[in-house]
Amino acid sequence: MALNFQQRGRSGASSGLLALFLAVSLILVIIYTREGDVGPLHRAQATMSGLLAPVQMAGAPVGAATAQMQDVVVDATVDEESLSALREQNRQLVAQYAQGEEDRLEAERLRGLLGLKDAYEMEGVAARIIGRSTQAWSQTVTVDAGSAEGVDAGQTVMGATGVVGQVIDVADHSATVRLLTDPNSGAAAMVQSSRAEGIVRGSLEGLLYLEDVAADKQVSLGDVVITSGLGGSYVKGLIIGTVAKIDMRQGDSLRRIVVAANDAPELLEEVFVVFTVGAEDAAAVSASTHRERVRQQQAAAQGDGQGSSDDAAASGEGSGGGSGDDADDGAESGGGDQGGSAGDAAGDQSGDTGAGSQGAEDGQSGDEGVSAGEGGDR
Amino acid sequence: MERSIGRIAIGAVVAFLLQIVAAPNIAVAGAQPNFALAYVLVVAIVRPDEAGNVMPFLLGLACDLMGTGPVGAEAFLFTLASFGASRAFMVLDNDTLFMPLAIFSAATLLVELSYGCLLMLLGLQASFADAFMYRVLPCSLFTIVVGLVLYPILMRLLRVGQMTRGAGIPVIR
Repeated sequence: MALNFQQRGRSGASSGLLALFLAVSLILVIIYTREGDVGPLHRAQATMSGLLAPVQMAGAPVGAATAQMQDVVVDATVDEESLSALREQNRQLVAQYAQGEEDRLEAERLRGLLGLKDAYEMEGVAARIIGRSTQAWSQTVTVDAGSAEGVDAGQTVMGATGVVGQVIDVADHSATVRLLTDPNSGAAAMVQSSRAEGIVRGSLEGLLYLEDVAADKQVSLGDVVITSGLGGSYVKGLIIGTVAKIDMRQGDSLRRIVVAANDAPELLEEVFVVFTVGAEDAAAVSASTHRERVRQQQAAAQGDGQGSSDDAAASGEGSGGGSGDDADDGAESGGGDQGGSAGDAAGDQSGDTGAGSQGAEDGQSGDEGVSAGEGGDR
Repeated sequence: MERSIGRIAIGAVVAFLLQIVAAPNIAVAGAQPNFALAYVLVVAIVRPDEAGNVMPFLLGLACDLMGTGPVGAEAFLFTLASFGASRAFMVLDNDTLFMPLAIFSAATLLVELSYGCLLMLLGLQASFADAFMYRVLPCSLFTIVVGLVLYPILMRLLRVGQMTRGAGIPVIR
């Protein structure tokens, strides 16, 4: 009887505690959803992420091992047809390797001269990625630059070759960046060649979509997608990626386009947080940079005594579109290997989601000069 | 009693560390396991009579603070799931491996589904089908695998010192 009474007492206390915790949790959720981005709970989240981000770095070797294992599984399960195709592509790649290596070295030198930062006259701070999202539902990274370094919520974040996301939370020496691939992200964007506007959104399957694009606008595979600057959330004219696939049903007035991001989020190690861009003359600077680059490429090609095949390869590296259009727009600097990496990313992303062959083919068709082997090699 | 509480607390810290160190790095196609949830549920099943509400609440809150989702959501779901799993196990245990596994799986799926629904209610730009196919289902399966590994380990660690009963001796409640 006494024991029973004691147990009943314990049970009552436990139920009380349960109710208390559930109530506290609900209150926290309500406060979190009602407070602004600078509310105490948001600040606590940002601070915690910053404090524990270095601990996360300890898991990097695990990540590398996991990626290797995934590659092994994919390699071990290919069928004979794929294997033959891969061998053929490998043969072509070996032939292209020598030329590719020359191009890469040239691109590196050019990048050194005309780095993304200088091309856009960007003010900002470079930061290392020190942590990644611990929840499957969000695609965020933590960087080692915070308010002390001048980082503020809402600033655009660039990878080596294009926009990767936006700062959403800031602590003293760290900041949380929501990647473009996050389902909650949204960047006003447009197709560079046709100026067709839309919104670039991430998705749970890891693909980037350019949504709400008018059906009457001309959009081709391989076209470059850049930020449009509408709404003011992202700086205008920065490259996001290339068109990898166009979804359209007959009768639809709007299209949805799959965008192959220039920078694969999982491979990012360093980023550049953009404070300001020489906004007024950014387009002109980038256009002249692009023209200068094309001139240098032509000069180099003539100097090597290699004919039009090199020119074709060089111009194919950019957007896959006409150079006249590209030169008019500002987002094309560094395009030397942007086109290539975009094709690469297309294969990469779609391989992850089970739509690999389509994405790889799209990547190839958009940029025949460079990415012929890149899509297939995944 | 104190010793087992200490072990549970240490285990919670380890689960949290695994969540922030290992989980992001073993993600497959964006899906990652929830070590913290797996730990909370396994403890609730292994020690249904002693699994309190404090550890699930604190572990959930810590996970909330490390993520970018609404603070309090995981704390709420962990607390509720731990309570539900422990009570379900106390009622349904039939001394087979099936029951703890079934309870663990159901609780995991419910927590992931509820969390996804909550995020969608709060503005997550995804359809229910996408959320289920790309996050709820793979994350749940991943977490269940973790639970399968954790269960025998915690059985051994947390039941040390408890009186063992021979096979065929019924549980009297």
